[in-house]
Amino acid sequence: MSLELGRRLNIRATVHVAGEPIPFFWPMRTFIHHNPLYGLEHLPFEQAVSEGERLFHARGFLPRPIQQGYLASGKIDLVALEDQVERFLAAQPDIAGLDQRRLLMTLLTEIEKPIGVPPSLADAADVHAALAGFALPARKIDDAALAAQVGADMPPGRPLYAIVDMLFGTEIGATLDELVIKSCLDFFDEGQSVWQMPGREKGLFAAWTAVAQRNLRLFIRGLHIKRILAADNTPEGIISHVMEALGVPEDDWKNHFACELTRLHGWAGFIRWRAGAKHYHWSRHYPADLVDYLAIRLVLGLALLREHAQRKGLPDTLTGLARFVEAHPAEAYLRREFHGGHVLPEMAHAVEDAIAAPRGSRIARLLPQYLARKREHEAKGLAAALRRLADKAGMTNAIQRLGPEDLARLMSTLARFEQAEGRMWLGALEARTMDRLLQGMDLSQPVQREKRPFAQLMFCIDVRSERIRRHLEKIGDCQTFGIAGFFGIPVSFIGLEKGSETHLCPVVASPKNVVLELAIARSVDEQAFVSSLEQVLHELKASVLSPFITVEAIGLLFGFDMFGKSLAPLAYSRWRQRLHPNKSDSRLLLDKLSREQADSIIRSLQRALIVKAIVRELGLQREAITDGMIRELRETALGNRESSTEFARHFNLDTRAESTFIARLRTVYRIDRGYAQMQMERLGRIGFTLDEQLNFVGTALRSIGLIEGFSRFVLLVGHGSTSENNPYESALDCGACGGNHGIVNARVLAQIANKSAVREGLRGQGIDIPDDTWFVPAFHNTTTDRIQLHDMDLLPPSHLVYVDRLSSNLQSATRLSAAERMPTLEPESDGVDPAKAYRTAQRNASDWSQVRPEWGLSRNAGCVIGRRHLTEQMNLEGRVFLQSYDYRLDPKGRLLENILSGALVVGQWINMEHYFSTVDNEHYGSGSKVYHNVAGRFGVMTGNLSDLRTGLPAQTVLKNGVPYHEPMRLLTFIDAPFDLARRAIEGVVKVKNLVYNGWVRMAIVDPETGICHLYEDGGWRQHVMGTDSTSEEFKELAA
Amino acid sequence: MTLLLIASLFLPLFPLSIVLNGALTTLRHPAARGAVLLLWPQLGIGLLQIAQHAIPPYFVPWALLTSGLYALRLLTVRDMGRWAGFLATSGLALTWALAAAGADRVDLHLFAFWFSLPPALMALLAYPLTRRFGAAYAGLQGGLIGHLPRLSGVLAVTALAAVATPPFPGFFGLLHVLQVLDWVGAVAVLAIWLIWGWAATKLMQGFIFGAERMESDADIGRASTLAFAGMLGVFIAAGLYSTGGGL
Repeated sequence: MSLELGRRLNIRATVHVAGEPIPFFWPMRTFIHHNPLYGLEHLPFEQAVSEGERLFHARGFLPRPIQQGYLASGKIDLVALEDQVERFLAAQPDIAGLDQRRLLMTLLTEIEKPIGVPPSLADAADVHAALAGFALPARKIDDAALAAQVGADMPPGRPLYAIVDMLFGTEIGATLDELVIKSCLDFFDEGQSVWQMPGREKGLFAAWTAVAQRNLRLFIRGLHIKRILAADNTPEGIISHVMEALGVPEDDWKNHFACELTRLHGWAGFIRWRAGAKHYHWSRHYPADLVDYLAIRLVLGLALLREHAQRKGLPDTLTGLARFVEAHPAEAYLRREFHGGHVLPEMAHAVEDAIAAPRGSRIARLLPQYLARKREHEAKGLAAALRRLADKAGMTNAIQRLGPEDLARLMSTLARFEQAEGRMWLGALEARTMDRLLQGMDLSQPVQREKRPFAQLMFCIDVRSERIRRHLEKIGDCQTFGIAGFFGIPVSFIGLEKGSETHLCPVVASPKNVVLELAIARSVDEQAFVSSLEQVLHELKASVLSPFITVEAIGLLFGFDMFGKSLAPLAYSRWRQRLHPNKSDSRLLLDKLSREQADSIIRSLQRALIVKAIVRELGLQREAITDGMIRELRETALGNRESSTEFARHFNLDTRAESTFIARLRTVYRIDRGYAQMQMERLGRIGFTLDEQLNFVGTALRSIGLIEGFSRFVLLVGHGSTSENNPYESALDCGACGGNHGIVNARVLAQIANKSAVREGLRGQGIDIPDDTWFVPAFHNTTTDRIQLHDMDLLPPSHLVYVDRLSSNLQSATRLSAAERMPTLEPESDGVDPAKAYRTAQRNASDWSQVRPEWGLSRNAGCVIGRRHLTEQMNLEGRVFLQSYDYRLDPKGRLLENILSGALVVGQWINMEHYFSTVDNEHYGSGSKVYHNVAGRFGVMTGNLSDLRTGLPAQTVLKNGVPYHEPMRLLTFIDAPFDLARRAIEGVVKVKNLVYNGWVRMAIVDPETGICHLYEDGGWRQHVMGTDSTSEEFKELAA
Repeated sequence: MTLLLIASLFLPLFPLSIVLNGALTTLRHPAARGAVLLLWPQLGIGLLQIAQHAIPPYFVPWALLTSGLYALRLLTVRDMGRWAGFLATSGLALTWALAAAGADRVDLHLFAFWFSLPPALMALLAYPLTRRFGAAYAGLQGGLIGHLPRLSGVLAVTALAAVATPPFPGFFGLLHVLQVLDWVGAVAVLAIWLIWGWAATKLMQGFIFGAERMESDADIGRASTLAFAGMLGVFIAAGLYSTGGGL
């Protein structure tokens, strides 16, 4: 049977729509900070958080006790909190004689444990009786009410096995997840396994089908996969078949699919990303998409359900289940109570015995007793909670006096309030931080410099740049700027000896131009020796039998490695680095190639390959062959001449041997006309035209407001991190470079900006870079804070005398920055001297047992888009993204739009990643690193089998189990006239949605009027900033 | 013979074992449960001494059957109080194997003590759990290790003592039983021992690990922890002292 095309397309579309809320999961090699609720960004923040709670079963706000801790430590603005409570109460019914404001504030600030969800059985009359100390009024709970309670846990779309698990205590869901994860690990493996799954090139579903049909273990477990797979041979057909077999109405398919996909949202997110990553090597070779994945889940789910149905007589269709609930509401209710985790603890044993008994009489006997006890338990529990609250608020009598109707109103208000309190705390936390930042900003006009600074440094906007920028500005005569770490140049980079492209730009962009790295000189022998040794060790470890011998033979070597890394990580790592040959100097191929140049490159590549082929295939040495022979072989292989070459004559190859060799040149070494043509096309992507180069440099300089007063040195500082044994290393690298080191982009921009043709062009645009200005690429290691200068061999001799001053400035700033950071990482290092702090930082970078080499972007809170002058005098504690921008150079707001659509969006992703990883590290984050295992070389799992862990590990956002990162939305400040900034915000749809939906808190600090405009509650409000006062005046503006 | 039958009420053999377990279920106070678990078997051994009657050979398979039945029952019980009672029943039934082999009075008293003290401690530990969560019921409140590490630690070690893992005296007592049984009996005892371990793992999984549904964060105090640890330490030392010479 095969479905019609339209039907198949319909199913595909439904699956893709159902998968929309699931965030992408990028391979760990290039960890991309992203909003876990990215798929819900079209919704207002609070709504999206609620939807996230439903889909991912995750919390969206910090729990109350932590918020109360923030309040006690002054991190939360009490006035703002009270204001939020007032606004909430404005929409609630009044209760006579009760000061609800005081009651709610007491609940927020003095009661740690929430009152919780409304009771399932007890009503206001029961609570009223419990409060008064009377017996509960008699009330009968009928079967329909019980069935309704069970029905509430069976919403449309919830998978049948999940409901069966809830009612019968089976663990079908867990078993299904386990089987699906195993299948995914087999298929998506990227070289971790020695033996690969067969047939992967046919795609996920086809490869899995072929293996599953012959899987004896599944058969022994009683899972008759073959029967289900016989229904259709396409994943869409199988999906349709299973859904019909389960009896799921077609209207519920989308919800059902969404539930299935979000259950292992890490894997689903990886498959979703992979399906769209056309440049990704593994997805090109081994394709897979959500439809394949869902089909596998559904097949296994149905097989498991049928196996349970056969063995235990459980329902295996939705209709069957509905019939069961309808026929046995009491049993279904007690089953849900017990297996769903709602059971009254003291009656758990009795309930378990009753539902396990073959006859229903025990249930009938137990039920009234259970219902009465539970109702009483709920009523007394709620009454006690209300009494505690009232006592704290000094309103004991007022609560006691309430009648059942008022009590019902109060209970509803409290339930709604506890639903909404998260956003109130969040708003108050943000208000305090925003207030502090606004108070510290210098709104006066910057004073013109008398002379140019000694050096100008362009850093990434990353929050980690702030500390070192501040120290550099204080120590030396340095001026610093913030710019997105890819310096505005999207690059697809092919590094030395790398065969694939790496995208060095934010993931929202796709680079068109390729930059190639070429070595100047290299020691081939040394390189070959080390890489061969590493290859041999790898082979010994990875093959099937050799590890048994390897342990005996060279196990001690690994022991030496282990002791070195554990006992003296810094010294040992330096020693090991000496074993590796230094990376050879290189240059970047940046200019577009002419046809002749491209032709020449291909010719030389082909020549090199022919030499390699001759050495490998015929065992001849290079010196035995002349250039003429190589040229002749090349021409023959390309079909430009007939065979019978000088080479064959010289080495006595007969016609057959010669033809075989030429054929191998064509097939194995790809010396053929078609491939040469393809190479020509690829070479066409290399480099930038002069216009492109001019545009990139001009835009970068204008966007940060640097068009005059150039120093002798302009440092372009890319950043990255170094750590050992850390799958999350790339999470600490530059997000604007797609989770890679930023040095390549810095080198690209420096190389372009130092070209005389480019400078000539820039002069035409009004940017006059003096001849003695030299752009120097540098690398900021955020783990150690070291800044290393690159391409120094290109530095003009006239600059060499100043290098010492530059280096010493950088070194001092490095140490001061380390001294500022180390106490936050290692409390015992309080008050360490800078040199010692720097050594500690270096040790962290090479210590393989260090789970937290640096804090990364943790505690990020804000983003300032404006002149450095605004925040120059503030210690921002490495918590603020600093994007330089001078509105005076951007009358139309185009540069600001670019900044908002690039830097702000990336900043918001980073911010949200940290936010959600902190508020619920188990669901949105990835839990503790201690239990992590690398899966398939692209992700991590907790233990040996789990969902792919998304988000940030506990060690990145928590300290001693409590949040180190203070989760708040990105507080963004734009230093520009209100109208210009507002136009720019509204000019970029994505940004407009982020601001107006409350994902980003936006403030426009107008330097011309001195007024700050805050976007709040759907409108812009004015905040008049006094230079020496904190008084505020809010005025509503038309949105 | 009558005395032997009465003794089989105290060194519980199925179905007379129902009395002990019924009593344990009825008793609400954990200290009372603990006291019953400690004293009950000692009365049985006293009766054996009074009986002065050779134990008929069918008592040993009967005891093994009882022990096996209760061991299997352990796998499905989640209430810790009941679990402790069933484990004690399963362990104490093996006293008959030693008694049938003519073990002396002190050995019998000690053996019964090795298998009743840890269950008694577990019955006591059910109290802090019940006070915090309403019941000591595995699976209702998992993940104790993260929030109540002291209680989790004491619970885990007591469970290990209860299922006769070395170096707790129950282990050496079990070795003694293996020595006096024929190979069929020995295999049966080993199987029973294996089931105890499995059951203990399941129980601990339901409390210490498992899904987290915390309602209370208050761990047991240092003094209680030290008291339990001290008792278990003395238990080990006493076991090593008294069984070491015998082996």
